[in-house]
Amino acid sequence: MASSAFVWWRALAHGHLLPGTVPILRRVHAVHAVPVLALLIAGCRDAPPRRGAVRVDDFGEPVRRGSAVSPSRIVSLMPATTELLFAIGAGPRVVGRTPWDLWSDSARRIADAGVGLRPNIEAVLARKPDLVLLYAAGENHAAAQALHAAGVPVIALRIDRLEDFRRAARLIGMATGDSARAATVVDSVDRTLARVRSATAGLPRPTVFWHVWDAPIITIGRGSFLDQLLTIAGGRNVYEDLSQPSPQVSIEDIVRRDPDVILAGPDGAARIRASTTWRAVRAARTGHVLVVDTSLIGHPSVRMGEAAVVLARLLHPGAMP
Amino acid sequence: MTRSGFWIVAAVILVALMVLGVSWGTVPLSLHAVVAALAGHGDRNAVEIVRALRLPRVALAALVGAGLGVSGAALQGSLRNALAEPYLLGVSGGAAVGAVIGVALGFSSAVALPLFAFAGAAAAIATAILIARAAGGRADPRVLLMAGVIIGAFANAAIMVVLSGAPANTMRSALWWMMGSAAGADWPQVAWLAGYTVLAGGALLWFARDIDILALGDESATALGVNAERAGRRVFLVSSLLAAATVAAAGLVGFVGLVVPHLVRAAGIRRHRPLLLGAALTGAALVVLADLVARTAHPPAELPLGAVTALVGVPFFLVQLRRFS
Repeated sequence: MASSAFVWWRALAHGHLLPGTVPILRRVHAVHAVPVLALLIAGCRDAPPRRGAVRVDDFGEPVRRGSAVSPSRIVSLMPATTELLFAIGAGPRVVGRTPWDLWSDSARRIADAGVGLRPNIEAVLARKPDLVLLYAAGENHAAAQALHAAGVPVIALRIDRLEDFRRAARLIGMATGDSARAATVVDSVDRTLARVRSATAGLPRPTVFWHVWDAPIITIGRGSFLDQLLTIAGGRNVYEDLSQPSPQVSIEDIVRRDPDVILAGPDGAARIRASTTWRAVRAARTGHVLVVDTSLIGHPSVRMGEAAVVLARLLHPGAMP
Repeated sequence: MTRSGFWIVAAVILVALMVLGVSWGTVPLSLHAVVAALAGHGDRNAVEIVRALRLPRVALAALVGAGLGVSGAALQGSLRNALAEPYLLGVSGGAAVGAVIGVALGFSSAVALPLFAFAGAAAAIATAILIARAAGGRADPRVLLMAGVIIGAFANAAIMVVLSGAPANTMRSALWWMMGSAAGADWPQVAWLAGYTVLAGGALLWFARDIDILALGDESATALGVNAERAGRRVFLVSSLLAAATVAAAGLVGFVGLVVPHLVRAAGIRRHRPLLLGAALTGAALVVLADLVARTAHPPAELPLGAVTALVGVPFFLVQLRRFS
């Protein structure tokens, strides 16, 4: 009780707009922690004994090991896992993807099975899959259940940050029987990231505004792998204090945070350069708008190492060989 | 409040809110710094914030409010319906469909977009009036409203179908626009909206006598030698153009056209020439205030402008609705 009063006081003292929200959320977590733990323990009793660290997906469903009978018809409903499947050599077994999965070139030849959020179950089943990879968002719960009911194994994954990618790669490798190659892919991404990190370690860190979208203005927060890549590449995200992966912000707040550099895709950069409102931001006014290849950098997957190299070269010309 | 008192109070409030709108925002600036920035002196960031961000934004909000207020007052008078306004009549929804089709066809300039929006708005109001007449709604003002709300729902559905294949961020943009926002206002946009507002607002002032007569009822209009059908159609079309121009500039901002004429009438102003002018002043003040709330209430994010006006407008609508039941 005393600690809850303290939280209230702190929320008020720090000027939260809705002081109630923070303590209420914390209280809910505290109250629910006990039954959730009990459920987890109950769930573990039925599950086979754990060997590795990762055996359940992000909806808490067990993942079947694919070494004996590996899936031969995989539908991958997010770009990150499609890229990953191709990288670990399971590409020929992918029979469905979303309209946005355009890497690698071979992925473009795979049948489009529809969007990845609230997917069209019939379109997915029409591909006759024996494994479906799904983004683990709340609105995909029903889809996962429907596919389970149809007898199709599902792995639901929430891949937002670097560590999510590592875990997803291990899980998918295990499920497809390509564990060794999955480990190699993760290692190679990690090695590249480490190389970039050390190349930019001693350099001054420019503050960066990452322009994702225009109306409303959307950027990246701490919850996104892009925030991590930016740090590794020797920059500092001006919105690293926001926990959401893609928060909406106002232009005047960007002026207040006064970034040294704006990063944007080709279209966004052209709009910023042509706009009179963006001139209010010093970086736009002084021509510090850098163009990033959004198709390379958009997904938390096997090309993150490459993406970090590109970012480091943009922010610190000459720092990366 | 006396009538002359209303003009003074409305003008003072509008000017005060515009000054507040230019001086208040996420970046705290002293009044001295704002004045210096207006003159182009002082810190470069402050100059750009005041001149490139806040001034055009306040101007756009004021024009949107004036346009919606005038459009609402003209529709309420000519339809003899105290609940009429562009948003509830489906006019704004129709305008949105027109604008989305315009964008889909590649016309996204500040000049052309209002014309596409106008085509949609005119189609919407014509349909709403036809439905209401077919349902015998001349006697009950709520029938026309129902027709309008249904057209608004149809418009939303049409937009969603057009956008169904769009990527997530485009969808987010469309939803954002359908909730209204003055963010991203720039001078060319302000200039075009000002042009449309002066043109259509001026035409409605010109028709103000006709609206006075229409407000008395069709029979009185005929007795007074006015072709009610033709005069009414003219007012509907010009009001729709005005509302469509605001939709093209700032998306769907509801309930301003509903609330504002009532405030002006509460000051004892009945004739439509002063009523339309009063609605322009009051509407401008209301939307400048709503936009100030939208951009400062929840930093660093912005609230949708239409959400702020709806929070004020819906309770007001319910109070008005009670008068009919």
